[in-house]
Amino acid sequence: MSTTFLPCGEYHQNYHEEHAWWQTRFIKGKMIALMLALFVGIPFLADEYWLSVCNQIGYTALGALGVQLLIGFCGQVTLGHAAFLAVGAYTSTLLILEFPWPTILLDLGLAYPLSIFAAAVAAGIWCVLFGLPSAKVKGFYLILTTMAAQFITVDFVITQYISQIGGRGQAFSLPPGTIKIGPWVIDSDLKIYYMMIVLVIVLTAAVVNLLRSRVGRAWVAIRDNDISAEVMGINVVQYKLLAFFVAGFIGGVAGAFWISNLAAISPEHFPWFWSLWLVGVILIGGVGSIHGTIFGSIFMVVVMELLQMAVIPLAASYPKLLMDFLFVKEAAFGLAICTFMIFEPNGLAYRWWQTKNYFNLWPFSY
Amino acid sequence: MKAKALVVVFAILVAAGMGSTASAAEVVVGALNDMTGATSDVGKDYALGIAEAINYCNDNGGVNGKPIKLVQFDYGYRVPEALTKYKLFKRMGAVAVLGWGTGDTEALAPTVTADKVPYVSASYSGHLADPKKTPYNLFAATDYSSNARATLTAWFDKRWPKHADFGKRKPRFACSYMFASPYASAPIKAIKDQASLLGFDIGPDQDVSLFAVDAKSQVLSLKDFKPDVVWHGNTTMSVSATMRDAYALGLGADHIINLWGLDENLPRLAEKAAEGAMAATVCAFYGENTPMMPKVVEYAKKFNPGVPQEKRLIRTIQAWSNVLALWEAMKRADKAGDLTGEGILKKGFETMKDVDLGLGGAKLTYTAADHRVSGKVPVYECKDGKFQLVQITDLQGRWPDKWQSWLGW
Repeated sequence: MSTTFLPCGEYHQNYHEEHAWWQTRFIKGKMIALMLALFVGIPFLADEYWLSVCNQIGYTALGALGVQLLIGFCGQVTLGHAAFLAVGAYTSTLLILEFPWPTILLDLGLAYPLSIFAAAVAAGIWCVLFGLPSAKVKGFYLILTTMAAQFITVDFVITQYISQIGGRGQAFSLPPGTIKIGPWVIDSDLKIYYMMIVLVIVLTAAVVNLLRSRVGRAWVAIRDNDISAEVMGINVVQYKLLAFFVAGFIGGVAGAFWISNLAAISPEHFPWFWSLWLVGVILIGGVGSIHGTIFGSIFMVVVMELLQMAVIPLAASYPKLLMDFLFVKEAAFGLAICTFMIFEPNGLAYRWWQTKNYFNLWPFSY
Repeated sequence: MKAKALVVVFAILVAAGMGSTASAAEVVVGALNDMTGATSDVGKDYALGIAEAINYCNDNGGVNGKPIKLVQFDYGYRVPEALTKYKLFKRMGAVAVLGWGTGDTEALAPTVTADKVPYVSASYSGHLADPKKTPYNLFAATDYSSNARATLTAWFDKRWPKHADFGKRKPRFACSYMFASPYASAPIKAIKDQASLLGFDIGPDQDVSLFAVDAKSQVLSLKDFKPDVVWHGNTTMSVSATMRDAYALGLGADHIINLWGLDENLPRLAEKAAEGAMAATVCAFYGENTPMMPKVVEYAKKFNPGVPQEKRLIRTIQAWSNVLALWEAMKRADKAGDLTGEGILKKGFETMKDVDLGLGGAKLTYTAADHRVSGKVPVYECKDGKFQLVQITDLQGRWPDKWQSWLGW
């Protein structure tokens, strides 16, 4: 590990150093500071509202991570990812409510964690089903087949059949105390926050590691030119389907996480708009960047909340502004995408890279 | 330079917004409304009614002298949006929330129960009326399930005996609604139970979107079953489209409708197809002769003069009903020295017995064991484009042994 405090270039002496996660002490220090901020700073400083905003960011990031993997790293455009979140949420909920868990697992608080894993696998497999057309079609045609996932899954299968299980009607409610991890009942925004942070870190690390592996390189090769990739000996269909499985798996975790926020779900929680929103997140954050997924999620949630905050003081004089805010929000979403497409097509991640480099090279950034 | 100035102004506004909490001198009430989403066809008028009614409350002393500060948001009928808005209300110190649809209300039910925040919704889902499960969910109207049972019973009492096949066969009944909508599907189990109780043959359900402008395929499916009466569970736009198609394709069935599907717009949109449609409307129509109606009209003219009177709907009255009920509960809780969420529920709502809001609805009685406001449900029908009372179905009096078992579904 380099002992340089502010390294102004990459100078590795062996492969081990090059492949290290944290390549300098400075980076290690930055990451420790980030972890402290995430695990101590935010929970200590944020009130219930801001914690719930953080949880929304986490939910968005988990959803967008799978979309980023598919679009950003494997070149498979998807517009139906909310369907896989729905599969995860419903699998987890039904397992908690209906599965005859052995008492020992319930006592140990393992029902919900196991249901998250099962939800992820179910969503992964379901995603592979809708990834099958990618063997034959791409581009606009693939967009349409992934949109079909949304309508078949949410509007047909879940609404018509899954929601009817137990004769409850449409909405499932999870009784208090059923969302439990080990001894901890997840019943406050703070506990949800910690769960979210762990899930985001683990899954982000897993995806980053995957991208550093043979699998990740194959995905990038397919994204850049699938014919060339096939000529090089990559089994394109197999790797595409693997990408769909991993993206669905992450979506399943996101859906299973979502039920801890409300302890209730209905098909209305997973509209097509949410699939579109997730694509917007990676466009603004930066396509083909893991940082971009996180930045995009923060931008889309926090900026909208700040806009909301800015409207509140004006509401004393113009009460209708509060009601009209959703129009502003929708317009801001559209405007943000247009602006980024025109002025910063590489997204926030590129800005972050530029800023980081500026400081790394300072004062001789020429 | 201009950009920097804009950023500074934005930052100041954000800081002011973040610091916005309730002062001791005011009572903050949050309101979630749908002006742009799937139920905006009925949500806009309701939202206007909420703001007008709160102004009326403040002009009449607020909560025992403390003004009510209304924080009203459009959430576009999106559940994730409703969650963050609810948390924002809490941050601003709201003591109660005036909610909207069944989707957000049922989704937030576990949260408001844990937080002890009264959630007075425009969703009258029967699932929310059992205090053992959802103690902090309330509404100033008879619930969807009771309304559905009462409307089907009224049709059975008034229309079926006049049918040519009366006494020869069982009446046939089918439902048309959006399966994915918690609002539309909420009373389906109850109305089918009532149909069985009254001896109907029940046909296959038809899935019609809340956004539907065409329902021909569903009507053609219904024609195979030849129903005598069809339950419409959606909102006005969708219901009118289905009824128009039923009229055009000669379905030949009568129509009974959940209350959000029948208002002053229905005869305008469905014209002849709306003739004879029945619904339990839970309160008077806009402009009808009730004690509080002059105030409703006065405040509508005063605060929303740009909205023509002929465009105002029964939704305004429904909004006033919820606001006036919450106002009454808050005044009672404040008088008892406990203007908290729990106080508003226990020392406010659950002390109300036969309270008449003067808006043509049932007298309100809430108990700690039952949040259904009444067992007597007035059912209206559309005749020559106007609405008239058909009967008051006394569910509690007619089925006293079953009434308690119907609580909560």
